[in-house]
Amino acid sequence: MQSCHKEVKIEDSPEGIKILLVGNPNVGKSVVFSKLTGLNVIASNYSGTTVSYTKGTINFDGKKGTIIDVPGVYSLETTSPAEEVAVKMLDEENADVIICVLDATNLERNLNFALQIQKYDVPIIFALNLADVAEQQGITIDVRKLEEEIQAPVIKTVAIRNIGLKQLLNKAYEVFNTEKNNDNIVKNLPRSEDDRWKKVGEILKRVQKLELHHPTFMEKLGDAMLKPLIGIPIALIVTVIMIGIVVGGGKGIRAGLLLPLLNNYYVPFITSLVSMFVTEGLIYNILVGDFGVLILGIEWPFALVLPYVFFFYIALSFLEDSGYLPRFGVLIDTVLRKAGMQGGNAIPIMMGYGCAVPAVLGTRAATTKKERIIIATVVSIAVPCTAQTGAFIALLGAHSAWMLATVYLFSFAGILLSGLFLNKILPGKAEPMLLEIPNLLVPDRKTLFKKIIMRTRSFILEGATPMILGVLFAGLVVETNSLKHVAIYIEPLIVDWLGLPREATIGLILGVIRRELAVLPLLEMNLTSLQLLVGSVVALFYLPCLAVMGVLIREFRLKVALLIGGSTFVIAFVVGGLLNHSVKIFSGLF
Amino acid sequence: MTMYGHSERKSCIIKRIPKIALLKSLGIREGMSVSIVSKQPMGGPVVVKLGKRNIAIARNIAEQIQVEGA
Repeated sequence: MQSCHKEVKIEDSPEGIKILLVGNPNVGKSVVFSKLTGLNVIASNYSGTTVSYTKGTINFDGKKGTIIDVPGVYSLETTSPAEEVAVKMLDEENADVIICVLDATNLERNLNFALQIQKYDVPIIFALNLADVAEQQGITIDVRKLEEEIQAPVIKTVAIRNIGLKQLLNKAYEVFNTEKNNDNIVKNLPRSEDDRWKKVGEILKRVQKLELHHPTFMEKLGDAMLKPLIGIPIALIVTVIMIGIVVGGGKGIRAGLLLPLLNNYYVPFITSLVSMFVTEGLIYNILVGDFGVLILGIEWPFALVLPYVFFFYIALSFLEDSGYLPRFGVLIDTVLRKAGMQGGNAIPIMMGYGCAVPAVLGTRAATTKKERIIIATVVSIAVPCTAQTGAFIALLGAHSAWMLATVYLFSFAGILLSGLFLNKILPGKAEPMLLEIPNLLVPDRKTLFKKIIMRTRSFILEGATPMILGVLFAGLVVETNSLKHVAIYIEPLIVDWLGLPREATIGLILGVIRRELAVLPLLEMNLTSLQLLVGSVVALFYLPCLAVMGVLIREFRLKVALLIGGSTFVIAFVVGGLLNHSVKIFSGLF
Repeated sequence: MTMYGHSERKSCIIKRIPKIALLKSLGIREGMSVSIVSKQPMGGPVVVKLGKRNIAIARNIAEQIQVEGA
């Protein structure tokens, strides 16, 4: 099948046709969107990835248009923030055409939504997506008959492989260009919910044929993962493999490729280059000294952190696209429920191990405010992002794997305890789990690759620059010795209470900017084992980065954001100090 | 019998559901036939298969769903 990707270019001018893309969650809407616009939209194999909307422009054979990806919803009742956004957009956007994506493997429920969407006085085209998976599952759908039944064009698509998308756009323009007449408006729409389901049942009987077939291997595996006796061992194996990929892969690239490149070629080169222009002194030290921005500003983001970020995103993207995460959510529901959350929330928390920003945005899919605040708080407090994980591995991995594991035990304990506490003090209850489990799929290689590249690139663009600026700031502070003025005030806290050297203050100042910057300065300080552990634990609980604070303010207003930020600060110092003193007392006993 | 009390691996027909909008939207309705895929220990959710899809349902919702063995 020919790719339609090349004909579709991103354009800035928002003229021409205006298309709204709607559908149930997890039907491949975001994939359709990213293929149509060429925009990079994160699509995952679980419900609720698009929690706000994304606008893109298309240029299809010279014809222009705007396309808007509406959050996936099960119905047009407004029970969650995502649904409210969807309904508001349908009401207010004045679209020319609606493209409604249907999941061919789940036609009944999708048709129920299709009949609801038809109440809008806008021409609708239906994309019958996941047509390939449906065929594998023995589902045959008569497209012509379906068109007759719902009185609207239906086009079979396999979005991830670009199948049917060109026809979809063609149809959209065709409908757009035909004079509007009342034929487009479907008559006899069912009035009540029961009538609607009855009509769905009748349509299904006429258009869908189910062949009895033996469940495929993936179906059997997908079901097995939901059974505790098989699912829990599989979850453990998956976790071990993930850690292996991230730690092993990251370390391999770092030690085998990046560090030799850096130390043998880059550092000598840049040092001699700088010394040609600058004589030894303050400027020289700021550029290529101990905290030189041209040395550490390159080494930290690119040689220490980037390899782990890259491998983490390989692992996370694979888990997302395969549909494994919701299965993991089912297994862990019992534990999360004790902490005021539910199994479905496992997904934003897992995303938090990548970056807290999408995790906080992802909480919009949760229905209660209480759940949203609990998830956002535990992610801000106790979930290290992938860049910080990279920093932990760089700091502790060489020292002792046990210490690294201990930091993660603190992370898990922090998630549960802060959830437990918030569950007690916040009014209300977590919504009981009610979650659709998607098909288990082998992820599409191209989509997966694109996603990994896009996420890694956004780390380089959005993460590396603040890190370089942070190193520059640290260099200035160290070289001008200005730390001693600040340190007088916080020295008792850093030295006496946490047991860290005075220079550790730099990490805590930089940690405001980004999470991993609270960890990385510790690398340069020759710390004892206890200091390493205390420093890491403080950095773990310490403030989330500036970007996360921004998102928290936007999502929950200033007051809640400040409360979350303030509590991370307090927890970091209380836990760090207690750890320092209790280990000292404990080791004094023996 | 409630859905939560129904034995694993068996299919059943839904007789009555509580008023939760999302249940219907997910396709859990009166008259539908589902089979129980698994039940998580310690009061965890029950997973049912409806057509080709699995749906995880919390215990306290599953306890409000009346079913009949098929």
